[in-house]
Amino acid sequence: MLRKEQNDLLTQTGPGTPMGNMYRQYWIPAMLAEELPENDCPPVRIKLLSERLLAFRDSNGKYGLIDEFCAHRGVSLWFGRNEEGGIRCPYHGWKYDVTGQCTEVPSEPEESGYCKKIKLKGYPLIKVGDVLWTYMGPPEEQPPYPEWEFALVPPEQTFTSKRLQECNWLQAMEGGIDSSHVSFLHRGNLNSDPLFKGAKGNQYNLNDSKPVFEVVEHEGGLFIGARRNAEDGKFYWRITPWVMPSFTMVPPRGDHPMHGHFWIPIDDENCWAWSFDYHPTRALTKEERQAMIDGKGIHVKYVPGTYRPLANKDNDYLIDREAQKAGHTYSGVEGIAMQDASLQESMGPIIDRTKENLVSTDNGIIMARHRLMKAARALNDKGIKPPGVDPKHHHVRSAAVILGPDQAFKDAAREDLRVRPGVPQSSV
Amino acid sequence: MASESSRVTTATEARFRINYPNSKRRAVKVVALDAESRQLVDELARMPWDGASFFTSVSFSGNAAPPKASETGSVEAWLRDIAGQTKNLIEEIETADVVVMVSAAGGDAQAALLIGEACAVRKTTVIGLVLQTPSTTDEETSRTLKNMRPFATMLVIASGVEYVEAMLTALRA
Repeated sequence: MLRKEQNDLLTQTGPGTPMGNMYRQYWIPAMLAEELPENDCPPVRIKLLSERLLAFRDSNGKYGLIDEFCAHRGVSLWFGRNEEGGIRCPYHGWKYDVTGQCTEVPSEPEESGYCKKIKLKGYPLIKVGDVLWTYMGPPEEQPPYPEWEFALVPPEQTFTSKRLQECNWLQAMEGGIDSSHVSFLHRGNLNSDPLFKGAKGNQYNLNDSKPVFEVVEHEGGLFIGARRNAEDGKFYWRITPWVMPSFTMVPPRGDHPMHGHFWIPIDDENCWAWSFDYHPTRALTKEERQAMIDGKGIHVKYVPGTYRPLANKDNDYLIDREAQKAGHTYSGVEGIAMQDASLQESMGPIIDRTKENLVSTDNGIIMARHRLMKAARALNDKGIKPPGVDPKHHHVRSAAVILGPDQAFKDAAREDLRVRPGVPQSSV
Repeated sequence: MASESSRVTTATEARFRINYPNSKRRAVKVVALDAESRQLVDELARMPWDGASFFTSVSFSGNAAPPKASETGSVEAWLRDIAGQTKNLIEEIETADVVVMVSAAGGDAQAALLIGEACAVRKTTVIGLVLQTPSTTDEETSRTLKNMRPFATMLVIASGVEYVEAMLTALRA
């Protein structure tokens, strides 16, 4: 459980909040690059960390992320004309560049220089991999660009999607470091989903529903190892890295692509669940990529024209009680992503953690919360840079390995848990 | 017309969740396994807790070495609580919901083995907390982990002593 003030600290990420200040230390995924596909394409309204923003790509290919509203009379610039190197408000023609600097105020004499006195809040927006990333903190503290492996491998080796999740970011993220739910909630998918099935590790998962855990701190966050019985007294380890504030990777299965998530607050009651798949050493096959587009694995089908899942709370997640009874799905909800999201959204927009009853196997979650609170306080009280900002903390991988009974995964799997360019993932 | 799921997951509806204590007090027994952990446990014991009790040392009945697994059921061993009173280890475990063993990396293995065996016989959940310092070596940590691994459902390697308090609070100890 958490005390109310602790829950508030962790779940509130708006401007000026301790956790909001911390999120503003990182490069975070803002949008998919496909959302701004060409120069002068339509702008996109997005909200991040409780700030309403407008993203656009100007005539020269520069990306901009600025305050959504015109400084003149507060019109949404989403209605604007994206042309000739800037976005122009359709109301009175005020124009802004990608930094938010006003470049034209047609009603005022050009010689007056009035436009130079107008500037909207603007954040950098950069493309790394399939993702446009932003940094919303103090410009003078902008860290180096992100170096996550999924975003740096060649385009044919990676696939990224995002989906709207209608609850606070923390309860969504905590699902990503809670390895013990897989044997229950997702058991129907391990042998049927095209991006999971066929791996030997699946049988260890299904045969042992009481994993034993080890939680180890590392510079950027945690490694959470779940140990299940394998043959000859050995153990099957699934090791999940968590990098602050909200990056996780799912341990791999066979030679299937590796996958993972970011959970990025939209506001305190909604977040973007980012999902990526990549293979460190080979191109994704046509079938794998199509399966991801079709919403298999950790991805979803969308309501057409949106990033809202097709199965959502407005249609009770298309729950199928017959499939639940027959064991095809454990909860009756189809698809791994929505199996998680449906339960996390059912907790309410922000779960009241004063009422929860955690058990020993929740120590990964307890430790993650502890480290987040500690880092937020250190940043706000002493200006200490939080873990996960330094790009070297991004060089992690998940792993699934068989180890002897006396081996600590932190030692025996040390190499498996770091990015090794050109070397495949360690998987079973 | 919104679905039932859509209606009930609003902040407004969250206010109508029934407000009552949904769990009973749990007996959490926290045992320091070595001298380095003793001071920490002693300090923790002075804080207000719900169902936690704290022990700062373990002793055996004249054996230089811990008993083997098959002997655990009959071994005599004692814990000392923070008031300095001696308590029978087996009796304490029999009334525990969770046993938390706290050890510095590289700490003594004998007590972990004894307590772990006794908990295993009684199907009592064991959490092992290994506390690292900047000077701790990987070998020391691994040795302590190895001692605890056979018995613990959860092993945590923490770099800050404040994590012990955070974990006990999270578990409603």
